[in-house]
Amino acid sequence: MNQTQKSDSKVFTFFKTLTLVAILLFLLFPLYWVLITAFKTNLEAYRYPPTFFPRVPVIDSFVSLFKENNQFFVYYKNNIIVSSFVALLCCIVAIFAGYSLARFKNRWNRWFFALLLASQMFPVISRMISLYTIMGKLDIINTLAGLSLALLAAQAPFCIILMSSFFAGIPKEIEEAAYVDGAGRFRILFSIITPLVKSGLVAVGIYAFLMTWDDYLHAATLIQADGKRTLSVGIALRYLGELSYDWSLVNTISIVGTIPVVLLFFFFQKYMIKGLVAGAVKG
Amino acid sequence: MKTKQLSRHRSDTYFSLFLDLPAILLTVSFIIVPIVDSVIKSFQTFGLKNIISKKPGIWNNFANYLYLLKTDEFGNATMHTFSFVLWIVVVQFVLAMLLALILNSNIKGARFMRSIMMTPWVVPTVISALIWMWLFQPQYGLLKYLVSVVTGGRVSEFAILNNPATALAGVGIAALWKQIPLMTLLLLAGLQNVPHDISEAAMIDGAGKVRRFFSIILPYLSPVIKVSLSMAIIENFKQFPLFWTMTGGGPNNATTTLAVLSYREAFVGMNLGAGAAITTLWMGMMIVVIFLYNKAFRIQDMQ
Repeated sequence: MNQTQKSDSKVFTFFKTLTLVAILLFLLFPLYWVLITAFKTNLEAYRYPPTFFPRVPVIDSFVSLFKENNQFFVYYKNNIIVSSFVALLCCIVAIFAGYSLARFKNRWNRWFFALLLASQMFPVISRMISLYTIMGKLDIINTLAGLSLALLAAQAPFCIILMSSFFAGIPKEIEEAAYVDGAGRFRILFSIITPLVKSGLVAVGIYAFLMTWDDYLHAATLIQADGKRTLSVGIALRYLGELSYDWSLVNTISIVGTIPVVLLFFFFQKYMIKGLVAGAVKG
Repeated sequence: MKTKQLSRHRSDTYFSLFLDLPAILLTVSFIIVPIVDSVIKSFQTFGLKNIISKKPGIWNNFANYLYLLKTDEFGNATMHTFSFVLWIVVVQFVLAMLLALILNSNIKGARFMRSIMMTPWVVPTVISALIWMWLFQPQYGLLKYLVSVVTGGRVSEFAILNNPATALAGVGIAALWKQIPLMTLLLLAGLQNVPHDISEAAMIDGAGKVRRFFSIILPYLSPVIKVSLSMAIIENFKQFPLFWTMTGGGPNNATTTLAVLSYREAFVGMNLGAGAAITTLWMGMMIVVIFLYNKAFRIQDMQ
């Protein structure tokens, strides 16, 4: 590899660095911009030409979010409830079906796998047109439980495929030995096999959490009461309704709304990166 | 012994079906049944009245489909959707490939850069819409300032989302920002699996960088490319929140895609039958695109 580097001409290295810097700036500068806007006074945020660093960093917009615009935290709380619930159930469903897909290669499972692949393709709006009516008839529309179930079904297929790619890496001999020792099937699955795929399970849970946190369409159609709204829809309807937006507040909301998922992702980054690659390439 | 094995086999089947059951129930009741039901509704008069009175829709002799043909709206929305998907997927692939190749080339801090470049992927879609709306803001936005600096003050009013000619590109920039990281990550993982010795042997044989990329690295990456492109195609075909938040389909319907049109028809106009007709045609197009895409890759693999 050293040879390659030596053979790199100066012009090549220059363009390589330029490309790298340009793409990284495109990806990261917007985040910096949001961050500094949130710490500017309203007067400075509306200054043109804009300032690239706040003259006196203030936390006014955070205070106003907590004091005057705290309906935001109702959406926030709902989002945490729904996302955690979906992530938890998704893990259970994915352990069951993921293990079955990896371990038992029968005719049924081939159909089941095709079902999972196909169900990721359909547009959400198409489902919502029908679910809006069906769930209305069953009286589970406008409830967080109903919303969670619809979201769980949406996240489950990818999570199952992801989980099965982790189960596939566990040698069959391990459970054969336990089977001979007389352990039951569920005991083998839960106390012998599942602990071996713990890191995969973390990736699945966090993936389901992130995707549910991101949901807009399910909540926009299935929830009508303001007190039950989740984050994305709540923000869009409450803080983007008027003609002129309060941009300091909007930038503050962007930061507070992103922090939990960014923390979660970076804390479990090792598992997530491995998991995303494994899941995508397998599926 | 034989009968015991046979019964073990059968009990394996039962056990695996039992394990699949929760997922099958969920998928069938919240995905498959609704999809079939929405296709049925696309042939019916079904609106707010039916929901309130809980009456089923009535067959209407393709009225929903004929209604779509009456105006240019559906045709335009289809055009917008396809041009959006095509542009985003191509630009995204080129930029992600460049970034992945650079990060894979033994530069300092590659691991750190790989990790921070993932941040936009984690940012919720509606919030990434807000971030870009602020950068694009017509009075105080950063982009307006940058454009006026670059053009030496000649273009002093630049509002990308308010101009029908540029609005689709504006939403596209936000989509690229959010999607480039994941594609880069997948391509990078693929690049790391390209056997080192083969690439090195080709280098000793005197193959240049470009030659090595096209005749060694690209064929090795083919499976990863296939997956990541198809993920990008599906995601952008379905894209809704970015459009709805950033432009609402405007200005002058320049960013009205099939997603926006069907949502507006079904949930703003409360004409669910017509909305279902749009989503049904939209699904059909998506299936055709994915089918052709898979076929193209199969032909390429055989070569």
